[in-house]
Amino acid sequence: MRFIWTTFRKDWRRRWRNPLEILVWVGIPLIVGLLIVLAFGGKGGPRPQAHVLVADQDDSFLSGLLVGALSQEAAGGFIRAEPVEEAEGRARMEKGGATALVLIPKGFSQAVLREEPASLALVTNPSERILPGMVEEGLSILVDGSFYVQRLIGEDLRRFADGPPAAADTFDDETIAAFSAKVNRLAAELKGYLSPPILRLETSVDRKEGDGLSPGFLLLPSILFMAILFMAQGLSDDVWEEKTRRTLRRVVCSPQPVSAFLLGKTLASAALVFIVSLVALSAGYGYLRLSPATFPAALVWATLSGTMLVAAMTALQLFVSSQRAGNIVSLAIVFPLMMAGGSFFPFESMPSWLSAIGKRTPNGWALEKLKEIVLGRADASGFAASLAMVAAVIALLLWISSKRLNHGFAQD
Amino acid sequence: MTETGPMIEVENLKKQYGDLVAVDDVTFRSKPGEIFGLLGPNGAGKSTTIGCISGLLRPGAGRIRVMGYDVVTEGPASRRRLGVVPQELALYEDLSTRENLMYWGAAYGLRGTRLKQRVDAVLSVAGLADRAREPVRKLSGGLKRRANFACGIVHEPAALLLDEPTVGVDPQTRVRLLELVREQAAGGATVIYTTHYMEEAEKLCDRLAVIDRGKIIAQGTLPELRSILGERDVVRVTGRFDPLGVPEALRSLPDAELVHAADDVITLAAPEASKKLSDILRNLAAAGFEVRETTITQPSLESLFIKLTGKELRD
Repeated sequence: MRFIWTTFRKDWRRRWRNPLEILVWVGIPLIVGLLIVLAFGGKGGPRPQAHVLVADQDDSFLSGLLVGALSQEAAGGFIRAEPVEEAEGRARMEKGGATALVLIPKGFSQAVLREEPASLALVTNPSERILPGMVEEGLSILVDGSFYVQRLIGEDLRRFADGPPAAADTFDDETIAAFSAKVNRLAAELKGYLSPPILRLETSVDRKEGDGLSPGFLLLPSILFMAILFMAQGLSDDVWEEKTRRTLRRVVCSPQPVSAFLLGKTLASAALVFIVSLVALSAGYGYLRLSPATFPAALVWATLSGTMLVAAMTALQLFVSSQRAGNIVSLAIVFPLMMAGGSFFPFESMPSWLSAIGKRTPNGWALEKLKEIVLGRADASGFAASLAMVAAVIALLLWISSKRLNHGFAQD
Repeated sequence: MTETGPMIEVENLKKQYGDLVAVDDVTFRSKPGEIFGLLGPNGAGKSTTIGCISGLLRPGAGRIRVMGYDVVTEGPASRRRLGVVPQELALYEDLSTRENLMYWGAAYGLRGTRLKQRVDAVLSVAGLADRAREPVRKLSGGLKRRANFACGIVHEPAALLLDEPTVGVDPQTRVRLLELVREQAAGGATVIYTTHYMEEAEKLCDRLAVIDRGKIIAQGTLPELRSILGERDVVRVTGRFDPLGVPEALRSLPDAELVHAADDVITLAAPEASKKLSDILRNLAAAGFEVRETTITQPSLESLFIKLTGKELRD
């Protein structure tokens, strides 16, 4: 028992004297994860909004309506309109300072009302791909709408646009009242179609697994298990270090059982997995504002399942012919495990057949369990059973490794 | 076991790897305070024998006891009494010498104050006290060798196994290591020392076993081994010979014993060989053989090995 502790301390010291190794194991997954989070938009962030500059040279009632319609809530809040002078607007567009510039030429309103050709100019930002399209689409809808308004009450509008009769300063009350009544009647007739709409579009989207979970959340266990797999690969190589440095022979020649030596090494690895899991989960829980109630269970699970992966990789290393072969074989196993096991790409983004396979890999299975634990979906008895199973697998792997160390590996 | 009884007993040890017999019926004993040498060329079976005694390898047949404990059936008890200094460095390079000694001392059951005292003592004996806290990787090759030796003796073993500890070592370090070995023996430990350096074995070992191709071909104290040669010099002649014709060519020289004959070399043992050299060369020339080079060696382990095996130790 004492030798287990002695070996643990020895390996612990050795590990912390090579911090670069630990930084690489943890740093690579962090960088990969950060890039993926950035690419997928992290945990949400502000909604994208098109910034539209409007140069209204017409400055009429109709052009005012157009500008107002662009930025009203009905547009979904995706567009923010800002009135500018044409020169300023063009200068800002040159610098890429907005999504689009809408130019409403002088006489636009009169031309529309008189059914004369009229044009709006739209200048879009080539460096943006989606938002300019949305602005163009929105503007097109408004132009269509104004066409139908013109069809329905165009004659009256034209009369008002021409101004009051020559003898009068203003329209008389009767004319205004008649127009108001007409607009009111038209609105009443259309109300049945527009509010509420007769056509109701019901949309239903198949809810995919993981919907509602931010990319950041999905990547937290992925990044953690990527780091653990890198650690498992690196830590397992230490049996070859012990062999090539002949220290393993000294151990076999000592009165201590090899199993105690192996257990001490495994505990040192487990402590390292614990530290990395603690840091990663603390950062993840803090950043994603997850419930701290599940934190201890998540930490225990990540540590124990990570230790299982280290023990498995160690057992594997003991059955290859050389350190070089061990490196090649372990890397050849680790990378596919990362890919299929949800470390590079979350299961939620995989085809169902691939995610089904991935969830059956040791790391994929452990990763899914971790997600359940973090989300509070794991029940206590299931969690305990999983822990017991992992502990049993670790014990089995240590037994196999001890046998192999005693009979062949140390002596070859 | 009495105080002067054998510390290490090897009886009819055999170890085989497939068809290759690495150790064949090896038997020897070593006493307390004795340095017992296993002398033989590379691949003779020395390291395999040490491996079997240390518990690293399982004997194929035979019996090994360390202070009465069987290495197979009472492995931990026998290993607790053994110290092993392997030929290659067996150290954690990222730990300091002190940390290495603490670890290996603990591996042999030392604890607390006793462990610290032993580590301090061994550091002092090995001349490493002032470099004890430096990582081993920063030490010179010679100091690493001393640290390697120190790890083998930190627990004060009753029996010490040294597997060619001076291979590739500078002369100064070699002298220091040999002093350390003598100190261990003087302290009452039995030392099994394997080497293929004749002069080292002659200077250091109280008793020797000459081993070749897995078999012990001679065993005893240095005077006992020399007596096998009968105080005869060894004459080695290189040239072109007919091995079957050589005995006939030397028939007229009854004192010259033909040890070995091949197409390009013959080996003879003869008293006062320098005085008989002209007769030997004349007879060989008369038989039509071409002689290129002749060397005469005084009785030594080298000449004993040549006499026993017909080849030089370094071959």
